[in-house]
Amino acid sequence: MTRPVFSRRTFLGSIGAAGMGALVPTLEAEAAAPGGVKKRLILLTSPNGSVHTDWKPGFDGTSLTLSKALAPLEAHKKDILVLDGLGWQYGDGPGVDHMRICMMWNGSPMLTGKDFSNSTGDRPCGWGGGISVDQQVANHLATQQMVTTPFKSLEFGVYQGKHHIYTRVSYAGANQPIPTEPDPAVMFARLFKDAGQNLGTADLAKLQARRKSVMDAVLGNLTSMQTRVSKSDKLKIDSHLAAVRSVEQRLAGSGTAGPMATGSCTPPTLPATKLEPLVNDNYPAISRLQLDMMTIALACDMTRVASMLWSSASSDIRFTWIGIKTGHHTISHDTGATARTQMTQIHTWYSGELAYLMDKLKAVQEGGATLLDNTLIVWGNELADGAAHSQQPIPVVMAGHAGGVLKTGRYVDFGKKKHNPLLVSICNLMGLPDTKFGSLDDGSGALPGLT
Amino acid sequence: MQYAFNRIGLCSVLATLVACTGDIGAGGDPPNPNNMGTGGATTQPLKCVASQAPSVGVSPLRRLTRSQYNNTVRDLLGINTTPAVDFALDEKVGPFFSNASAPISDLLAEQFLKAAETLADTAVTSKLPTLVPCDAATGDAACGAKFVDTFGLRAFRRPLQPDERASMVALFESGRTTVGFAEGVQRVIQAMLQSPQFLYHYELGQQPAGAKDVVNLDSYILAERMAYYLWDSMPDAELLRAAGAGDLSTPAKLRSQANRLLSDARAADTIASFHRQWLGTDQISSMEKDKAVYPTYTAELRDAMAAETGRFADYVIRAGDGKLATLLTAPFSFVSSGPLAALYGVTVPANQDPSKPVNLDPAKRAGIMTQPGVLAIMSHADQSSPIRRGKLVREQLFCQTLAPPPPGVDLTPPAPDPNASTRQRFEKHRTDKICAACHTLIDPIGFGFENYDGVGAFRATEAGKPVDASGTLTGTDVDGDFSGVLELSQKLAKSQEVRDCVAQKWFNFGFGRTAGSDDACSVQAVTDAFSKTNNIRDLLVELVATDAFRYGRFEKGAP
Repeated sequence: MTRPVFSRRTFLGSIGAAGMGALVPTLEAEAAAPGGVKKRLILLTSPNGSVHTDWKPGFDGTSLTLSKALAPLEAHKKDILVLDGLGWQYGDGPGVDHMRICMMWNGSPMLTGKDFSNSTGDRPCGWGGGISVDQQVANHLATQQMVTTPFKSLEFGVYQGKHHIYTRVSYAGANQPIPTEPDPAVMFARLFKDAGQNLGTADLAKLQARRKSVMDAVLGNLTSMQTRVSKSDKLKIDSHLAAVRSVEQRLAGSGTAGPMATGSCTPPTLPATKLEPLVNDNYPAISRLQLDMMTIALACDMTRVASMLWSSASSDIRFTWIGIKTGHHTISHDTGATARTQMTQIHTWYSGELAYLMDKLKAVQEGGATLLDNTLIVWGNELADGAAHSQQPIPVVMAGHAGGVLKTGRYVDFGKKKHNPLLVSICNLMGLPDTKFGSLDDGSGALPGLT
Repeated sequence: MQYAFNRIGLCSVLATLVACTGDIGAGGDPPNPNNMGTGGATTQPLKCVASQAPSVGVSPLRRLTRSQYNNTVRDLLGINTTPAVDFALDEKVGPFFSNASAPISDLLAEQFLKAAETLADTAVTSKLPTLVPCDAATGDAACGAKFVDTFGLRAFRRPLQPDERASMVALFESGRTTVGFAEGVQRVIQAMLQSPQFLYHYELGQQPAGAKDVVNLDSYILAERMAYYLWDSMPDAELLRAAGAGDLSTPAKLRSQANRLLSDARAADTIASFHRQWLGTDQISSMEKDKAVYPTYTAELRDAMAAETGRFADYVIRAGDGKLATLLTAPFSFVSSGPLAALYGVTVPANQDPSKPVNLDPAKRAGIMTQPGVLAIMSHADQSSPIRRGKLVREQLFCQTLAPPPPGVDLTPPAPDPNASTRQRFEKHRTDKICAACHTLIDPIGFGFENYDGVGAFRATEAGKPVDASGTLTGTDVDGDFSGVLELSQKLAKSQEVRDCVAQKWFNFGFGRTAGSDDACSVQAVTDAFSKTNNIRDLLVELVATDAFRYGRFEKGAP
């Protein structure tokens, strides 16, 4: 499939010859990617579990009858696949309750450690214990399909005040949490601004020459440091080196740290007054702005892999804009009728955000298809029932078509099944051959019946 | 000596709960990890076994925190910007920021790159004459090499290794020969600011064959440790000189330098920073209140609250008598006119010397536990929180840890009720057996704070009745009933356990890690010195004379 709307050339047009050498063979390799479709992956994570009876849709074998929690997806119900009965049966390892948010996408236990805990003896833990599926996919695209988008992946957030196991769902590997960017202004700068913008040819060449020599020296200093540190410290320097190499490759590819935004890849307009990320009531506006930028980044091939963690595990955001004054986590532990209703109202709000994202993706044409057709969205949670802190069934919704292979418009109940096969299925839908994912995988392969 | 960590162990034994409330953004704080030094799940009191050999725990490679980055580039380049405010967030160890565990991601590498580019550009544009050791207009290769040495010493906080020097000189020459002298300088600054030697606190590498497990740290590393501990920034010229001259080789010389650093204004930020993180007021910048309940709460009041506690603590420790008792009981604070003065109900004289505190009503206010910022952050948006306040005392003043509530428990705080006091509304914690086992440890302390509402304003009545601010301390060395925070603070000021806990918090803050069994004798040395004078300044100085400060332990195992 060709990509008539947003061409890589859009970015290359303004770039000096220096970066071209590295890119030309890449473009050829990409053209030969399996199926010819540029597949995108989006992971969405909302917190505090759900009220299952309000979430479970009806399904008569041909069409869905959406539940209260999923009602905003009515216009998209032929493009979603609701998965029930999945979860993890994780026993007595490190980490409890909400800390397990990282398991949603890595299917592995938390590391032993003392970084995170809220009790004297009750199973403290370190960071997540394995690579998350979005990073697995991003690595595969980069190393096996030779995709060289400016960003290997993009991690969006809305309200995250701490670097904590509760606020990280994407992992490059064990003990390697990838931070989200919850400030739309900072994300905007990351995507659309660079010192190389608006420079004349001579000045751009000067900037590129400086960057190249500086990056070479920095890589040299990192390599030198690798030999000087202890074993566990070396892991930090190794990761640092990999991160700098990744940024360096982007520089070599595009000539600038952020892609030039031109033509249809025009950035969204930021509000005149900065939207402060740690203001409760800015939550819905920041969510929309982040989803707008995610859509543009995917449409313009700035990345193929994106994730959104709205708040955090155990988030106590107050959904005042839908009339709920008590915090989400607080409500989740209240089993009274009013609180249960409010839990579902909040869940419904998140469904509305997914519907908004799907609207946006559907509006982007790629050949005879839409961006949504070429995208796989998966929406998960760190808990099943928030009051009981139960781990099964986690509410999971898939959306989009992953290049036309996902059979949507359905509800599938897996009864009581480990969720690692879901992660295997995500890999397979994205073109990866993996048959296991995460250290808790029992080897049962992918989920049946998705394609 | 035994430290009082473990009293609350009964909580988990009884499988009971502490009310926990969800935390916007990140869930609960990381726990109080003071008692996790040996890695076990249960509390392990530190015990010093006297020995001739120095003892110290392993110190992991730590990356500069955001505040350290900002302060360091300020002191290194003479540029007053704060580029790190948009960097990805720092990790915490205990309540304190310390990037000790997770490595960086692409995002941070990009952020380092962009910040380095902007800073190097600004430095060369506006500060070039102050940075280079010759006339920039006629600068040559020799001057460039000298710049690499002098600037490198400050950026890397130690003399460059031969391979590092060769690489930086070559980088300088790549710029000088193609564009000019200033370009060489710009490239070197830009590269150094992204180099691990700048971005990490490098201390010990691999253990050389035949080396002992515990070794003296290099004097430049001692200089770096001291500067980041007391200034949250790089060493100054005098500290680097002392490191080069071997003037940091004895505890006496280290104490002398620590006293010098404490006398410098840069120590004010560090002391403020410690107290903000310790007491949770670093979260005030994003603290929101229900406007209907607290109409006086504005951004101006919020910012005044955020500034007050650090300013007060710095005054007590560096300008005042330094006593922990003063920090806990002083009837004065730093209040400018405006909403904070209104909240306190004081009138700030027009000729008030801003370097001197304002006297408060001694019947209503006494030290940090009665400061509005602390009281407000330990409250809900629409009401006070005896639970958060009680937990603050247990966890941060007594270094005790508390079990979380079991799943399935309703954690919704009872809704405000015009006809019932907070104490009445939380009655269930006493009547429900499951709740009671832990809440009898928390609520009786927290109820003592009920004279202060959700923004820290004093109230004599609630729900039309006089406030009952009676409270009880149990499981401590100062057990007993008290009435209100004024009496509670007097008890805290007399407690040896609180004194020891404060010393451990400073260890955690100053070293970016928690004390483990290998650090027991260092912690004891500090708490002994602190106990003699009760002066926090002595505690701060004595930390640099400990084994934990002066020595390093190689990590076990081959690289």
